[in-house]
Amino acid sequence: MDSLLSGQLLVATLVVGALYALVALGLNLIYGTMRLLNIAHGDLVMLGAYVSYWGFSLASVSPLVSMFVAMALSALLGMAIYVVLVRRALHSTALVARIEANSLLIFFGVSVILQNTAALLFTANPRAYAYLDQVIRIGDAAISANRLVVLVVALVVCVAAILYLRLSMTGLAIRALIQERDAARLAGIEPERIHLLSFALGFAMAALAGSLISMIQQVSPFMGFPFTIAAFVIIILGGLGNLMGSLIGGFLLAAIETYGVALTSASFRSILIYGVFIAVLVWRPQGLFGGARVAR
Amino acid sequence: MTRRRLAAATAFLAVVALAALAPFLLGPYLVGVALDLLMWIALAESWILLSGMTGYISLGHAVFFGTGGYVMVLAWGVLPFWLVVPLGGLVAGLLALAIGYPCLRVRGPYFVILTFGVAEFAKFVVVAIEAGLGKAGRLMFGAPSLDELYFVMLALAAAAFVIADCVRRSRFGAGLRAIREDEDAAETIGVPTTRFKILAYTLSAIIPGMVGTVMVLRSTYFEPLQVFDPLISFTIVTMAIIGGSDGAPGPLMGAVFLVSLSELLWANLPEVYMILLGALLVGFVLGAPDGIHGWIRARLARRGA
Repeated sequence: MDSLLSGQLLVATLVVGALYALVALGLNLIYGTMRLLNIAHGDLVMLGAYVSYWGFSLASVSPLVSMFVAMALSALLGMAIYVVLVRRALHSTALVARIEANSLLIFFGVSVILQNTAALLFTANPRAYAYLDQVIRIGDAAISANRLVVLVVALVVCVAAILYLRLSMTGLAIRALIQERDAARLAGIEPERIHLLSFALGFAMAALAGSLISMIQQVSPFMGFPFTIAAFVIIILGGLGNLMGSLIGGFLLAAIETYGVALTSASFRSILIYGVFIAVLVWRPQGLFGGARVAR
Repeated sequence: MTRRRLAAATAFLAVVALAALAPFLLGPYLVGVALDLLMWIALAESWILLSGMTGYISLGHAVFFGTGGYVMVLAWGVLPFWLVVPLGGLVAGLLALAIGYPCLRVRGPYFVILTFGVAEFAKFVVVAIEAGLGKAGRLMFGAPSLDELYFVMLALAAAAFVIADCVRRSRFGAGLRAIREDEDAAETIGVPTTRFKILAYTLSAIIPGMVGTVMVLRSTYFEPLQVFDPLISFTIVTMAIIGGSDGAPGPLMGAVFLVSLSELLWANLPEVYMILLGALLVGFVLGAPDGIHGWIRARLARRGA
């Protein structure tokens, strides 16, 4: 039981939680503004991870630099997907009636394309590189330097994103669109511009998470899927469209995962995650923090 | 109309009779391919009972396939083959009944991701059970011959097609399609929506359960990650969407199309096959949401008018 109270598990929870929150925030932004279920979200994590991996192993570029490249590329990809695929679906009366289910199918197609293109180009072999892997001791917890960097960057970006959405004019417009679609339009908010921005922001955050993850984990074409699942669990825990909820939900899921595995065994990790997922969906589909309206 | 129905029924019987000749005419490799094709037809036809008719997309139909497979594994050597096949269907149907009530209370995106979550949950539970029993994959000795499995699968595929067609034309089917168009309105005019949805979900699980029992014997070994593979669920959805999910001919066309594509590409260029699969799914959802069958029907209607 001593080990449960040690700083080690807490540090692990924080690192995983910050990454989860970063991925989930982007997913929720896209869901909130457009009601699209981006099942390809985890694959953007994979793309970001590959950008940093190749940057480091081919040109010894630090992942802290290449993460900006990854974010820019992913944001461009997001805007392209919005313009080519999504705008059409949002404008078609037949498709928009069941936009969630249809978006799920479209993004599943996108996900399959991204994963297999990566497998075709980079082979399915997992890859890794060593960067900042010396160990630092803080109190009784030991943490490798790269994990500390991951934690700090992810946390700073999450907080910055939340502040941006709460304080800036554009952020307010995004939140207005999430809360009251029609009223937001009446107040002069252009949904088109916000949609494009949400795609760029959400995709960039996922790619940033990927760049960070590549420092501490192996990179492979199919690494994204667990992050998609985690992000879905989190935004349902925190409430669909509730951005602050994603931040809390990220740390909550990380805690459940880390401590749950410590109490049982690693083989129960997936059962635990899906168990929480089903329980929340069945009993509290509006999320743990309630409040937010749910389109049921 | 009745004459057209009679002609369609005759054509259907002729196709089934022709398919029944396959083991006598083709070599084992092609019989294997035909078996795979029949498997996908049976799965996709079953899937549209709920998801095509009501629009409640199930992204977790692999759970019924896997359950059937697991029933066969547990009963193998205890009960005879011909008894386990319907038993697998029964267990899968009961499972659908049990999870249908909580799952079908939630609508739209919640239902879709919930079905997926339930399927993955079941997969990892079976993995944990097998690990607890100390089994890492099981070999199935003394399985029936390929030809026997083929005939059973042909019967299942034909049954799935007939059920889908009958449901589509029945009052029950009309009720299900009313739910798809507007659930609240359907409820108002007296469609028992909850009962219909659960019934359709259960019905759509039974044949996949039976298909699972047969396919686990075909592969002669059992590995939970393989029979509960989410790729099975996704392939079913893709076939039904590409072929068209509002009526029995659609999934058949989708299955024939994708199995042919997979035969051409899977062995040498699996990534290219998957990329094409993704592109086709995106293209059909955006450009032809009624699938190949819907597109053909629209063309014929235009020519007739």
